[in-house]
Amino acid sequence: MKLKVLSLIALLAGAASGAQAEGQLKIGTEGAYPPWSMADANGAVTGFDADVGNMLCTKLAMECVFVVQAFDGLIPALQAKQFDIIISGMSITADRKKEINFSIGYAELANKVVVAKDSDLAGITEIPALLAALDGHSVGVQAGTTHAHFMEKLAPTATLKSYATLDEMQIDLANGRVDAGFADVSALQSFLDKPEGANFQFVDVNIISTFDATLGEGVGVGIRQDDTDLKAKIDTALCELIADGSMKASSEKWFNMDISRPCQ
Amino acid sequence: MELIQLAVPVLLKGLWMTLSLTAISVTIGFNLGLGLAIMRGSDKAWVSGFARYYSIAFRGTPLLVQIFLIYYGLGQIRFVHDVPALWWVVSEGSRCAVLALALNTAAYTSEILRGGLVAVPAGLTEAAKACGMSRAMRFRRIEFPLAIRQALPAYGNELVLMVKGTSLASTITVLEITGYAKRLMSQTFAIFEVFAIAGVLYLALNLVLIGVIRLVERRLMRHTGPAPQTRPVAIPQAS
Repeated sequence: MKLKVLSLIALLAGAASGAQAEGQLKIGTEGAYPPWSMADANGAVTGFDADVGNMLCTKLAMECVFVVQAFDGLIPALQAKQFDIIISGMSITADRKKEINFSIGYAELANKVVVAKDSDLAGITEIPALLAALDGHSVGVQAGTTHAHFMEKLAPTATLKSYATLDEMQIDLANGRVDAGFADVSALQSFLDKPEGANFQFVDVNIISTFDATLGEGVGVGIRQDDTDLKAKIDTALCELIADGSMKASSEKWFNMDISRPCQ
Repeated sequence: MELIQLAVPVLLKGLWMTLSLTAISVTIGFNLGLGLAIMRGSDKAWVSGFARYYSIAFRGTPLLVQIFLIYYGLGQIRFVHDVPALWWVVSEGSRCAVLALALNTAAYTSEILRGGLVAVPAGLTEAAKACGMSRAMRFRRIEFPLAIRQALPAYGNELVLMVKGTSLASTITVLEITGYAKRLMSQTFAIFEVFAIAGVLYLALNLVLIGVIRLVERRLMRHTGPAPQTRPVAIPQAS
């Protein structure tokens, strides 16, 4: 009898939580940020985020359902229970932690600035010099990212152009509407490898999260603050994936380098 | 409270951009629309045909699609890069937005004004013709003043739609009210508050606009005298 009542309560709680269907893990991801998250025309998601999601689902014995949604709307949508977790190359930052919880950081990539080969910024080799030189230039970033917050804070005299997706930022770079683009090295590398990126190059400066807190503490899985059980399960699963080398193997597949962070 | 102090000044900066976008594109769009409305009345089939198909194309496609076509589409054509005047327009998001909004509202304005022009009684035009007025003078003195009185209520509606349409410029990096609101959203995550304030700003702007149109309307219609009494008059009961 007691068991029946308990299971009834569990059932009601499950129904009330809405998004969390039994055995299903709904994952919010951007779908336009290679090689992290790419959605094709049919809605199928591939990339490092998709791999992490699928590996997590296998560990948790749940079925993955990907929901593709613009990056700057991911956190509001998670709070509105449109999906259960976010896996979208999202860096863990103090501002975001006020709104949602994060798993352990499982990966981290350096960030870089990309400019035209004939730009006066091309030869700079130090972060402070680069930030000073951006004065009066326009910088393209993706809206709502750590990159946007970094530039807002540290290059306030640059003209910041925010785009909904990185693809749009790259189109404008290629069209000459913005002087520089700021994102993580892998996303920009895929731009440089395209024909449109032929006349562009990296500024030889690695900007990593230890330089400024706006860049966060590595990439984590976004989880609602009240889902503490889920967080514990995901943290354990991520640690296992890092320990057995599958995180490393997947990151080498997509980035040609190991970007996994040690489990802490 | 703290949030309001943070959000309102930022959104007011955006209000200025929203106003500029609306004012410039409406000025261009009204003149284009007037030209198109006159073209619609032309006897030459290709002139009236051009105006008709222009109106169908721009009213039949979403404004957002037009904005993307102009901003991302034109920006990819080599030729546009090579002509400095064209590149000046296409290189900047706000100028692309003005272009798209102006071309879009021109189509609607032409339809609204055409309706007004068609409603001008033929007898008045004939009388003006009989007085020896030239075609231009007839238009200036008779047709246009009568048409604009007819068209004003519908045109006021179009102006309100234009103010709201400027919010789509935020998708091409223009920082108007919605653009700043989106930026505030990703900084504070206080979505409800930020967009509620943005909504209030649009509402206030449109209320002022509607008030101004009412005033203009009343001024143009002053020959009709005060509006008829609508208050019920007590009828003495027959005993």
